[in-house]
Amino acid sequence: MATDNPVYTPWFVNNHPANGKGYEAAVTYAVAAKLGFKSSQVKWVYEPFNNSYAPGPKKFDFDINEVSYTPQRAQEVTFSSSYYADRQALVVLKNGPLVKNHSPAALKTYLYGDQIGTTSLAYIISQISPTQRPKPYNNLNDVKSALDTHQIQAFVTDTPTAQFIAADQVPGSTVVGQFPSTGEHFGMLFQKGDKLVGCVNWALAALTQAGTIQALQRRYLQIYLTIPTIKP
Amino acid sequence: MTWLGRHGPRRSKADVPREEAAQFLVPGGPLAGSIGGAPQASGFGPLGRRSRLLSSGRRGVAISTTSTVVFVGAVVAIFLLAPGSAAVRHSFLSPEHMWQAFLGNPSKGYYSVGAAIWLNIRMFLAAEVIILILGLVVAVVRQSVGPVLFPLRIVSTIYVDVFRGVPLLLVVYVLGFGVPALSLGFLSKQSAAVYGVTALVLSYSAYVSEVYRAGLNSVHQSQVAAARSLGLSQWNSLRFVILPQAIRNIVPALLNDFISLQKDTALVGVLGAIEASEAAQIYASTTFNYSSFVVAAALFLILTIPLARFTDHLILRDRNRRLAGSK
Repeated sequence: MATDNPVYTPWFVNNHPANGKGYEAAVTYAVAAKLGFKSSQVKWVYEPFNNSYAPGPKKFDFDINEVSYTPQRAQEVTFSSSYYADRQALVVLKNGPLVKNHSPAALKTYLYGDQIGTTSLAYIISQISPTQRPKPYNNLNDVKSALDTHQIQAFVTDTPTAQFIAADQVPGSTVVGQFPSTGEHFGMLFQKGDKLVGCVNWALAALTQAGTIQALQRRYLQIYLTIPTIKP
Repeated sequence: MTWLGRHGPRRSKADVPREEAAQFLVPGGPLAGSIGGAPQASGFGPLGRRSRLLSSGRRGVAISTTSTVVFVGAVVAIFLLAPGSAAVRHSFLSPEHMWQAFLGNPSKGYYSVGAAIWLNIRMFLAAEVIILILGLVVAVVRQSVGPVLFPLRIVSTIYVDVFRGVPLLLVVYVLGFGVPALSLGFLSKQSAAVYGVTALVLSYSAYVSEVYRAGLNSVHQSQVAAARSLGLSQWNSLRFVILPQAIRNIVPALLNDFISLQKDTALVGVLGAIEASEAAQIYASTTFNYSSFVVAAALFLILTIPLARFTDHLILRDRNRRLAGSK
């Protein structure tokens, strides 16, 4: 299994995927158990997001790293079926203008930044359409630093990550709200044409039917889902 | 000169019989190349006898053609016959992806690589002007001998050591994230490109100052002595005698550093400035295809190769000027 470094709550806990805590870690171990593997047989490797879609044989079976499915990406890699339907949320500075003023018209006037290549950045550009071009950063860490040092006024990411960053990572920030769903979902990333995805999809379907996926979402993600909805 | 001594007192050229003069004009003779004709550099190099023998003639052409075909053919064969070749060709050399990356489409989340190279051009032009000046100042300070300038000399030495030793990427990060975090008012509110250019200037001036120092040292001591004996002050002798010669010697090295600078503007992308390689990275992360990097690389080559050929031309011209008339 591959994932990035550092990884955040609620997807993993303490940047240590092997402890099995956190939603994505728990889903991985549940899928592995369904396929007949023991926990000790699950090995984790580090794969930065920007490397995960490189062509050629991979050093992992699948990569689980909040990767959103898009049809264009599906031409380059193979995705599993959805293990979480995510929504985008807006993280802003606590004493900034965005806290009070986040009508759709006002949202266009602010300076955003985001991680490159993410559906979050595409969401800002296509749905919010700000007048100032959003600033791109190579990873989420740099985006957080940028918000912290007031180089940007807001950024967008999936709701659970947004809530964790606002609560724990960037003291002066808060989540103003989450945007309506665009039908986006996360999938595990496989090498193009990998046959293993069929087995994993079977395991995910079985877990969903047994209610395990919903139970894990309630356990790790519920407290992050009670956030008001705002329009882009 | 000995040949004048051998033939007695000096005579004007008009007095020298035609046959006698002719022996000095044969190729390889003392006056060869100085009156019309091409300079004859000896031995190796682009004009040397040895390379002329090998590169001219039908045999030479046949050999070079064959070796080129074999070499290029081997590389292309390895690339095409490798098991993963189709996947790599789709991932790196896909024409429609290259075209999409070149044009850009912000509504899908990625920007135009072709437009982004303009930021690189502006950055390296701005940086190069400041680097040439700052490098010269640091080099002149380091070469000074007066005791009054001692603290400046120490500071310059430390500056050169630090900024040649620290990787440019780290300097870019420290300046680009550190200075805004200090909340210093005007200094902390600049765009990412400004911090990037500052990092490039600091790092490259250290290298370029060493190139200038090499140039200053390459000017013969007799020039300095002659300038001083003519009554020029230290500053005037530097300005009118030393520097013109020094800079003429090191122009190829400075152009070499300029070409390197053009490539290193790519590092500013980590700060969020949308330059060519960052635009390529954005495209790659959005579509999971790396063809945008090939587009960015091609654009960089279009910038750097003409300058490289111009540098070669300058080196050749300088060599001809210096070696004209010698064997």
